[in-house]
Amino acid sequence: MAPSVEVPESVGDVVGALAGEGSVVLAGGTVVMPEVNTTAHDFRALVSLRRAGLRGIEVDGGRAVIGAATTLAEVGEDERLAVLRPVIESIASPTIRNLATVGGNLFVKQPYGDLAVALLALDAEVDVAGPDGASSTRPVADVLRDGAGAREVVTAVAFDVPDAAAWRYTKAMRRKQNSASIVTVAAVLGLDGGTVGAARIALGGAGAKPVRATAAEQALTGGPLDHDRARAAGEAALQDAEPFDDAYASAWYRGRVLPVHVRRALLGE
Amino acid sequence: MPKSYIEVLVNDEPREFLVQPGTTLLVALREELGLTAAKRGCAQGTCGSCTCVVDGEAVMSCLVPVETIQGADVRTLEGVARDGGELDEVQAAFLEGFATQCGFCTSGMIMAAHALLAENPDPSREDVVRAISGNVCRCTGYESIINAILDAAQRRKATGGVQYVEGGV
Repeated sequence: MAPSVEVPESVGDVVGALAGEGSVVLAGGTVVMPEVNTTAHDFRALVSLRRAGLRGIEVDGGRAVIGAATTLAEVGEDERLAVLRPVIESIASPTIRNLATVGGNLFVKQPYGDLAVALLALDAEVDVAGPDGASSTRPVADVLRDGAGAREVVTAVAFDVPDAAAWRYTKAMRRKQNSASIVTVAAVLGLDGGTVGAARIALGGAGAKPVRATAAEQALTGGPLDHDRARAAGEAALQDAEPFDDAYASAWYRGRVLPVHVRRALLGE
Repeated sequence: MPKSYIEVLVNDEPREFLVQPGTTLLVALREELGLTAAKRGCAQGTCGSCTCVVDGEAVMSCLVPVETIQGADVRTLEGVARDGGELDEVQAAFLEGFATQCGFCTSGMIMAAHALLAENPDPSREDVVRAISGNVCRCTGYESIINAILDAAQRRKATGGVQYVEGGV
């Protein structure tokens, strides 16, 4: 049966509309609508975020707060977030990025969801609204691991905008435009002189969800950012990865190339 | 379930109609308004053959429930030619550059090109490739399409920019 479509005009009304059985959040529609159009889904109601006031980008004192219904295209066009432009440009096509949203990207299955990988490396915080006016702020890692509740909706994502010198991102694709990830690597490095004081490295295409490469982070921290240490970190990244087979690449291939792409990302090669 | 009453601007003309819940913009255009230029290919946002311009942005119309875009300004391929049916620069460049073979992707390609040229009147080849990266063509190998869009940009420079039909199709 075709689902009903609700277009609430406030977050409270979004949460209210999610109370019904079979209700699902419809943000950009790039994931939900293919299911509606082509599968035997059991959605009863699509709750659109389009008019719920969740669109917009604020950057203040180096801290970015992005409304959940902000499109990827809007992020990609924002000069204040220029450091993240390669992430946005690596995702799908401009016509999809005109619809797809920041909040929606957190709920996309791997090997999609490259922005979620970046947000994990950025240690972003996610604002979530729930029933009875409840709201909470959660680490993005928790939201990626657990999802959101059936009656909850992500309202915003916040993170410290990294310096270009500290930010690393690479995505191995089947072609230069509009391909899902073979592997994706995002990292924020705390560089103290030539020494890596701290590192957050996140991987896509390396498991059912984006994952932190904690072993790689440990391998990299406390020494210079050179070829040998970056290579060791790349090898260590396999410890946190569970590469999978799909139409884009085999698990074997993903595992084989992951260390190389981690190394290249870290060294900016 | 009750039908929804939709009002949108399509190719500069106010249109109103009733739809079943969950109707996509693509289905509304084709089945309620008889505008069949936008094609249903994959219905998953993968092929781009349904690309239309909504509020100035090229989007896949198969991914947009029409109830979510009340009041929007929609442009389809039917609203691209000039008054009297004269082809616009993009259409003319596609025709004269043999940038269409079977034709199934052409409508989406032209709408993606329109959105590009409205934003960037002087695109590089790379800009064009990026703009149509969501549009699949299984005939041409893309080169003739890319060349036609670059040609259209040059033609438009010569004629002084985009004009749309007043009053729609």
